[in-house]
Amino acid sequence: MAPTTAQTQPPAEAGKLQRHEDYRLITGQGRFTADWDLTDQLHAAMVRSDIAHGHITSLDLAAVRSAKGVVAVLTAEDVLAAGYNPIPTGPPIKDADGNLANFNALPLLAADKVCFVGQPVAMVIADNAHHAHDAAALAVVEYEELPVVDSPATALRKEFSIHENSPDNVSLHFSHGDKQAVDAAFKKAKHRISLTIGSQRLIGAPMEPRACNAQYDAATDVTTVYTPMQGLLGMRGALCAMTGLEAEQLDIVAEDVGGSFGVRSGAYPEAVLAILAARKLKRPVKWVAMRSELFIGEWHGRGLTLAGELAIDEQHNITAIRFDDTVDLGAFNSYFGGFIGTNNLWVTMGGAYRVPALYMQSRLVYTNALPVSAYRGAGRPDIAFAIERLIDHAAATLDIDPIAFRKQNFIPADAFPYLTANGTEYDCGDFHTVLDKALDISDYHDFESRASSAREQGKIRGIGIGYYIEKSGAGGAPKDQVSCRFKSDGSLLLHAVTGPSGQGHETTFALIVGQGLGLDPAVIDYQAGKADENLVGNGTGGSRSLYGTGSAFKNLAGNIIEQARPFAAEALQCAPELVQFDEKADGGGTFHTAEGSSITLTALAQQQALDENGHHPFDCDADTVTGANFPNGCHIAEVEIDPETGVAEVVTYTAVDELGNVISPFLVEGQVHGGVVQGIGQAFNEEVIYDESGQLLSGSFMDYAMPRAGSVNELRIGSHSVPTALNELGAKGVGESGCSGSLPAVSNAVMHALRSVGAGPIDMPYTPMKLWETLRAT
Amino acid sequence: MVSINLTVNNQQHSLEVEDRALLADVLRDDLKLTGTHIGCDTSQCGCCTVLLDGNSIKACTLLAAQADGCSITTIEGLASDQNLHPVQKAFSDCHALQCGFCTPGMIMATVDLLERHPDPDIATVRKNLEGNLCRCTGYVNIEKAVLQAAKLKRGQ
Ligand code: FES
Ligand code: FES
Repeated sequence: MAPTTAQTQPPAEAGKLQRHEDYRLITGQGRFTADWDLTDQLHAAMVRSDIAHGHITSLDLAAVRSAKGVVAVLTAEDVLAAGYNPIPTGPPIKDADGNLANFNALPLLAADKVCFVGQPVAMVIADNAHHAHDAAALAVVEYEELPVVDSPATALRKEFSIHENSPDNVSLHFSHGDKQAVDAAFKKAKHRISLTIGSQRLIGAPMEPRACNAQYDAATDVTTVYTPMQGLLGMRGALCAMTGLEAEQLDIVAEDVGGSFGVRSGAYPEAVLAILAARKLKRPVKWVAMRSELFIGEWHGRGLTLAGELAIDEQHNITAIRFDDTVDLGAFNSYFGGFIGTNNLWVTMGGAYRVPALYMQSRLVYTNALPVSAYRGAGRPDIAFAIERLIDHAAATLDIDPIAFRKQNFIPADAFPYLTANGTEYDCGDFHTVLDKALDISDYHDFESRASSAREQGKIRGIGIGYYIEKSGAGGAPKDQVSCRFKSDGSLLLHAVTGPSGQGHETTFALIVGQGLGLDPAVIDYQAGKADENLVGNGTGGSRSLYGTGSAFKNLAGNIIEQARPFAAEALQCAPELVQFDEKADGGGTFHTAEGSSITLTALAQQQALDENGHHPFDCDADTVTGANFPNGCHIAEVEIDPETGVAEVVTYTAVDELGNVISPFLVEGQVHGGVVQGIGQAFNEEVIYDESGQLLSGSFMDYAMPRAGSVNELRIGSHSVPTALNELGAKGVGESGCSGSLPAVSNAVMHALRSVGAGPIDMPYTPMKLWETLRAT
Repeated sequence: MVSINLTVNNQQHSLEVEDRALLADVLRDDLKLTGTHIGCDTSQCGCCTVLLDGNSIKACTLLAAQADGCSITTIEGLASDQNLHPVQKAFSDCHALQCGFCTPGMIMATVDLLERHPDPDIATVRKNLEGNLCRCTGYVNIEKAVLQAAKLKRGQ
């Protein structure tokens, strides 16, 4: 049974709301995965490893099987018997000689060995959730414990290893760029400035705990899977790869998704096991994660150590950059872990600067910890952070103005398109203007007077700049396709595969099509991921839904007009090529002739009959192929530290982003707010901590500090637009840029404050304890 | 099992619930009021916030049996005759929700906050929302929405 029927159209009494999505979400009528209860459903609970590394010597499930309400238990044997495959290991990544990385895939259920705390060992299925959890607790798993690789540093000591194919605990030694040129530049350099930055492991923590519900229909051989996701094709592709089912055998439902941030870009073991169980038991199987399970069971993010070095000449030109990076994969290669540690670390490693020589190498190492995959930015915020810290660190070390140093080395506005030394083409930008705007909005030049008033109050102030540039995702699908269905009342339903989780797709896509057709967006609905539309396209990821799918919707409006033109010609009694369409006409988009007769698109649509399949003659589709683009921006943070308590406050924060054309400014600002505060969360509080035995110490919201209200005292937003020609909308990605700007801005501000009293630099997170101790030590 | 009586959104319910059933579970599973969300298992996130006899509480911190005889308002009961509550309206107006998962709890916590502080300053808003987590919005627009709702309620 479905939960209370969602009412997507607000009643007139509700007044005008900001987004199409809002009415159901503010009245409690959203439908998130856990809200679905299906007739006759069973409930699942997981048995997970409670040690970090060991052989399973015995798995005694007798008490589980005989516990009250238990219907079935799945183990690795059932997975083997079903022929299901482990979690996908992500894109093929290779070393400089073209050799593939070593890959180790996470099994759906552990057979003989566990490699991290939380690794799934069995799934218990019972008549209700209480019984499933009670029974799961009765499982007796005995292990022969193995030494634990508790960190990348331990891994690289090679005293003991996790996987047979990687005795040195390294999945891949990666390198990219021109090492000779970089070495030569460093030889000649007047100054060599180096700094190692850590970007600690984080949890993604979408507020909706992950859940799934799988229902098998034996008559059609189709399994319907309710699950949060970021896009139909990614989720279905992963599920097909693991189950061996064909795409037609899986129907996927995700109506409302409570955040994703990258950690939901692929399927997890529980959904696959629920499919297995539902097909076997011929009853729906529902699983809802407890939050504590997600700390040990939902991919972590970040986990990078980046050691960078700048070569600088006499005139303070940067002549080369090199990086030596260590990437914590966790115990297995999963989805994007490898991509983060290779491609995403080199692609913009020169930052916004004209640097003639670039080279990086990275080691992707295994540890006895949860696998790492994409989390908001997936390596891009980390490299942006590292470069901008290096820039500030160099300026401080050489005692030069960090603004002048940046400006001197920026790629100038007349140098675009600009090909970086390692082969990335930035299409457009205007870094000087963006920086100046941010300086202005942040009142940068008056900082000293604010700092001295703070000093009088016994506080320490710092101001820091982060100029990021990142590559929004090109996407893995061959194109982004969209379609539409007219209803007999002239209203319109749009389809695409990209899966929203708060971005406001229903609002923005309706706006784009509405603008193109001269229709009120209120009569345009959007539905994501409807399998029988057979569309291809990318999911949310790489900040690309607006410029990819949104551009396709811009094209769709044009296609609809062409589709309707012959009908308009007939209605207006003239040749189709003589009919003009005016999307700005009073009363809505209108076809008209030179003689002055006219008909609105809506009226014309209402005149047409639906065919026997319910199709309207104006129904059509559209697509686009868009590559990557390069959003960039300047963020400036001003922080104040209380040396008595070590508590730091972000007193003002300025974000000036260069995102090309902006379609829905309030939604874009919302994305910036969220991204900035996730960065502030990482900078000041968030940290996944394992002890030396591989036990997670930060396993709940009581131990893992999430950002809360007041994380930033005053947020000032500005923008400057340099539209890209790389997509129809001229838009650049925004979803991840907030993190890329805030990590360096906030960190540079904290280091600036510390430097003013002769302290630092220190690594994130800048907790009160760490700041207090650092200040005490000086 | 225990028998309890609850008045939820002005409707009376007599229910048989498990002794250990949490109020949040009973609202969702037995009464199908799925607008009350469960976001954690340590009473930290506030997604489950409802009004119990007019005061905001986290419905995951209470056994359903403890709520016997109480009157509860959930997010589904806030709008009257399709007229949105000022807090609901302000959340939409200020774009204070993205994914909407924290939203029911945020709204219910705000309703209570404004009962106690009809004209709150920003520090009061932040302090009172400490128990509600949001991963999407950075709280910036939520703080704005609370202040705007206060104005709306005061008729300004
Ligand atoms: S579910 Fe109640 S506080 Fe998190
Ligand atoms: S809007 Fe997504 S958690 Fe708050």
